[in-house]
Amino acid sequence: MSSISSSLEANEAYLREQFNNSSDVVIRSLILKDETIILLIYLDGMAKLQSVEDNILKPLIFSGLPKGIDPIQSLSEMFKREWVPLTNIKTGKSLEDLVHQILQGSLVILANGEASAIIAQVQDYEKRSIQEPQKESTLRGSKEGFVENIRTNTSMIRRRIIHPLLKMESFKIGKYTQTEVVLAYMQGHADENVLSEVKNKLNMIDADGIIDSAYIEEWIENNSFSIFSQIQNTERPDIVTSCLLEGKIVLLTNGTPFALILPFTFWDGLQSADDYFERFIFTILTRTIRYIMSFISFALPAIYVALTTFHPEMVPRYLMFSIAAARETTPFPTFIEIFLMLVVFDGLQEAGVHLPNRLGPVMSIIGALVIGQAAVEAGIISTPIIIVVSLTGVAGYSIARYSAFFPFRIIRYLMLFITGFLGFYGFALGIIYLLIHLVSLESFGTPYLSPVAPFDGKRIKDLIIRYPFWIKKGQNKKEN
Amino acid sequence: MNRHAMLTCITLIILLSSTGCADIIEPNQLAFVIGSAIDHDENGIEVSHQIVIPSKISGNVKGGSSSDSENFVVISATGKDIFEANMKIQRRMSRRLMENHRMLIAISEEYFEKHDISKLFDKLNRDPANNLSNISIMIKGGRAKDFLMNDHPLEHLSTIAAQKEMDFNGMKNFSSRQLVIDYLSEGSRPLVPVFNIKESKVNNKETKQIAFLFGFAILDKNLKVKGIMDDVEGSEVAWMAGKETFQGVTIPWKDGNGTLSFKFTQLKRQIYSNKGDDKNRIILSVKAQAYLIENTTSLDMFEVDNIIEVQKYLNEQIQKELQETVDKVQEWGPDVFGIGEHFHRKYPYWWKSKKGNWEENFKEIDVKVKPNIRIRSFGTGGERLK
Repeated sequence: MSSISSSLEANEAYLREQFNNSSDVVIRSLILKDETIILLIYLDGMAKLQSVEDNILKPLIFSGLPKGIDPIQSLSEMFKREWVPLTNIKTGKSLEDLVHQILQGSLVILANGEASAIIAQVQDYEKRSIQEPQKESTLRGSKEGFVENIRTNTSMIRRRIIHPLLKMESFKIGKYTQTEVVLAYMQGHADENVLSEVKNKLNMIDADGIIDSAYIEEWIENNSFSIFSQIQNTERPDIVTSCLLEGKIVLLTNGTPFALILPFTFWDGLQSADDYFERFIFTILTRTIRYIMSFISFALPAIYVALTTFHPEMVPRYLMFSIAAARETTPFPTFIEIFLMLVVFDGLQEAGVHLPNRLGPVMSIIGALVIGQAAVEAGIISTPIIIVVSLTGVAGYSIARYSAFFPFRIIRYLMLFITGFLGFYGFALGIIYLLIHLVSLESFGTPYLSPVAPFDGKRIKDLIIRYPFWIKKGQNKKEN
Repeated sequence: MNRHAMLTCITLIILLSSTGCADIIEPNQLAFVIGSAIDHDENGIEVSHQIVIPSKISGNVKGGSSSDSENFVVISATGKDIFEANMKIQRRMSRRLMENHRMLIAISEEYFEKHDISKLFDKLNRDPANNLSNISIMIKGGRAKDFLMNDHPLEHLSTIAAQKEMDFNGMKNFSSRQLVIDYLSEGSRPLVPVFNIKESKVNNKETKQIAFLFGFAILDKNLKVKGIMDDVEGSEVAWMAGKETFQGVTIPWKDGNGTLSFKFTQLKRQIYSNKGDDKNRIILSVKAQAYLIENTTSLDMFEVDNIIEVQKYLNEQIQKELQETVDKVQEWGPDVFGIGEHFHRKYPYWWKSKKGNWEENFKEIDVKVKPNIRIRSFGTGGERLK
């Protein structure tokens, strides 16, 4: 750490050396009428200069030292008292600090003969306005989504929880990116042990850069080799708010609209924000359907293969005849057929994600017509397979949290393979292995399958039935 | 973590290679047997399988043409027992026989006479492919194979037609399982539905050989036919045996002027021993709810007196009819009502001395039918047409 010297030339030389070959750094020196030289340094495009011009430059140039409550006698007094007519003002002591502040968009004012510098935090840059979240849209509820700017995001949470117990601790992570990460929690609600574990892990991150919250997620999660994510991500401030109130911990990362929520359990992944916005009786229906669908999304291809090729006696008579009739002329074994169609389906999906918007319709024509219809008409793929694969695909999207669906996509293949070899015996093995894995997994001290395993009778009811909020609180509405 | 992954891989490889995928059989390598027929043959037994051609049955699928060719094949072979005959059939087939989807086993009357049926059920009981939920019927007169060969004007297959015919007429308790249960329990005797094949004109152009329900065969302890009831008597017997199949009745009114028709629901039956020491006296109580469906008499059913009278008369008539049927069955001997089972439970020691020759002892029992039929509805919305 080198402190600021009282010689302006030395300071200027240091800064010019730090910022050589940087076209966006502006270093402006001006001489006041009492021969004092002041130096303004800032990053072009990162600072809002209007207020600086109005409040600092104009008075200094045209009317000398500012005269506030009390006329200031010298420039040094102005530096000492931080008497600059701007709200967010700091005094810098070391040159490294100055460099850092300039890089963040602050304006630094140096004067000759002064061993300190005024740092005016006048950052202002172009940012995206608040929009409706694309990935997690709900029918009812807030239309706000997080944006890339972390201060906008924290303000969205602050606006929702107006209470001093909401704490937001800031961390700077990434050697070069110095990304700001905010750890938000409700003091007293959040588990202290989890909190200190998260803080430790955040401090131990040794990364060059944090581009997205996904980087943080991978650094701090308990088991990176599991296919199940142990941290939830969301771009909805209302979800973050309700999680905070439940005592969960939220990590906001600058530069991404995705906040991280932990701990996260398997069942959280199957819930949707809409569950809490619609009438609770309706929620029972939608949740039940969602559970059935999520089972279908990984099990149906495997069950189909097991039933038709290993245990045809288990299929009802007429259904079996229909399946057999459809299978009559197709060249591939059922297992290969399903596998091919699943690959095609996932391929289409992957292509759809990367496709330029204009090409979307072309893609759907190729996908639906050519691959689906033509394959059946040519007798290469049997019709039930198309039904099974598309039902599986659709079922997957009924899982509300998009990233909670990824593990199901992987299990789908694993189950298909093991069932293709062993029939229902293999299916049972697969399920057992899956359950063993899920039971042994945990997310920041919370077992991944809780409240089912370990069993918690009180909380398990909320998995299927969302009781009205006043019952949840344990009070009777009429009495209070 | 690495070790874990390695272990998983090794386990999987061993598992997969040790069991292999030899069990895989595609649906187009299977021949679905939907009905089987068993006939007498000099060598022992002739087994016929009715095998579905799936592409002909589900019409919409590509390749399934609506040509005149049949949507099934019947393949038969003879042998000393079912297994041998089955092996012979399998050798002639390009596909593996799949017997799990069988609906029905038809056994010819001739086979019932000349063979011990209980031995037939030995193979059916052992074979896991046979879930015993199929129905067993007897074909009167002709050969059971012919029953399979016939096609049906409405249904795809004659077996499906027979099964549905029984299903829609409320006869649901005639599965092979029920037959085996009745056979194994000492205090009751099985009832087997009987079909016979008749020429029947289906439209102006053609007549077809169609099998219809003829009645019920009453079997004794050794599964020999003791007598065949027609379908009305048969369903009365089934009602009194607790199989809930009776559908309705038409009775002429007292003055011989017009008839009353009733439909019955909620059929129940119970067996009581008469109070007192005489164990041979049994009361067979049957219960039902009746709905008046047709009334061609001059009775005005808005009169309460008439209602009471009709109900009383209905009970009397039913009592008379059922009593006749019971007497007929008792003459033949086999206890299809399960009265023996009642004794077995109520007087186990007494039953032990009787069960040895229950066929004869049953004839001595004095069975009184006591109907309790309540008229629930008259089905009239207003004044009757004059």
